[in-house]
Amino acid sequence: MKTNRILFILAILLISGGSTFIFASMDESATNSTPYVKPADDLTFHKQLTSFDQTEAINEENKQVYPEPITPTHIEIPAIGVDASINATGLDDNNEMIVPDNGEDVAWFEPGSQPGSTGNAVLAGHVDDYTGPAVFFDLEDLNPGDEIIITDKKGESLTFVVDQLKSYPKDKAPLRQVFGPTNERSLNLVTCTGLYNQSIEEHEERLVVYTTLK
Amino acid sequence: MNLKKVFILLVTAVMLSSVFAIGALADNHDSSDAMVRIVHASPDAPAVNVYVNGEATVEGAAFKDATDYMNLPAGEHDVAIYPAEANGEGDPVISQTLTIEAGEAYTVAAVGMLDNLSLKVASDSMSVSEGMSKVRVGHLSPDAPMVDVGVIDGDALFSGASFPAITDYQELEAGTYDLEVRTEDGTQVLDLSGTTLEENTVYSVFAVNTADSLEAWVLTDYTMMPSEMPQTGMGGAQSDMNNMFMIGLGTVLAGIVVAGIAINRKNSYQA
Repeated sequence: MKTNRILFILAILLISGGSTFIFASMDESATNSTPYVKPADDLTFHKQLTSFDQTEAINEENKQVYPEPITPTHIEIPAIGVDASINATGLDDNNEMIVPDNGEDVAWFEPGSQPGSTGNAVLAGHVDDYTGPAVFFDLEDLNPGDEIIITDKKGESLTFVVDQLKSYPKDKAPLRQVFGPTNERSLNLVTCTGLYNQSIEEHEERLVVYTTLK
Repeated sequence: MNLKKVFILLVTAVMLSSVFAIGALADNHDSSDAMVRIVHASPDAPAVNVYVNGEATVEGAAFKDATDYMNLPAGEHDVAIYPAEANGEGDPVISQTLTIEAGEAYTVAAVGMLDNLSLKVASDSMSVSEGMSKVRVGHLSPDAPMVDVGVIDGDALFSGASFPAITDYQELEAGTYDLEVRTEDGTQVLDLSGTTLEENTVYSVFAVNTADSLEAWVLTDYTMMPSEMPQTGMGGAQSDMNNMFMIGLGTVLAGIVVAGIAINRKNSYQA
């Protein structure tokens, strides 16, 4: 009977210990997937109001001077130690954005907007490659107010400031909000997040970091 | 015997609740939405607030302000426009039912002079051939005559537009065009020399304000975008997490086995 009691205690310990592990692993994916939650409409609303503010500013000063848009070749994110090359890409035959074939580089969606012009410019980078963390692995650690510095090959640079982070199930992301037209001068950074699903060979979620020109 | 069942139930409950917790955290974006932007093209109307289904959606929009595209559920919506200073009290300047379809994009323009304000609804293009540019024009100047838009000393691209028409789109080679707005007898009313049309981009060019101070207002309707979000990961950094999960699962299973042995032993003692 004494052995039995010990066995029971052992069983309870094993099960509770194992559950903690499972919880911890689940927890990690949960925090990964929602670094910063805001209601979906907030962004559009915020944007449309700031767009008016901008227009008013233009009316008041008659002409607000913005730097020229640039063709990006380099990205720096001091807050998370990113320092990487940017390559221009477009669409493949399946109408999908071509991403780098390595974990170090960042892709700029060239058919869309240029960083610094009115519209949503988009940069995409991998969260991980086949062996470990890639260029945008720490993107989820960014906070509103952090700066993104984009440079062209002549050394002209533009600084963008993080507005918010948002993650979406991979098929539910608001594509137009990320890639489409806007009155803002925006730059959106895209990477993967959530669990890696072996059967579809893809991460289950996408993280978007919304930034605007400083 | 019962203990074993309780353990299994407990473990199942723990695992299920974790799975549900993850599902609940996911952000659901509704694909049954339509996109709508609201455009203030009434030269003498004050700054306005726009209420959609009784809710203030746009605040303080002045002449030549356009919102970004906003998500609205497909179906019918009441759109009401109030002077911004009225705070939604009293009668709206105009109120109209807007019917929109899922997956479509719309421009809703407040046009005409204040005492004759109306809402003009246009369906916006969401596609462009690769390397091309697409453009349409809107005659939103209440007192301007019927006009053509065309190349200076060249052919008309859009003919016979009168207030408040918004034309169909035309696909053009990307590039810089010397365009003009002219009356049917060829008199230029607005010089649009050096109009640059970027490739992979869809534009609306609206002629706004009164005829004596006619101006062009260029809006971007669409830029080329992929059919889905890019695939930005290969799974190499996930192994840590998966390992943790497997270790946990293994430990729980071991616990269940041990419990099973204990129960068996207990039962055999009792027998």
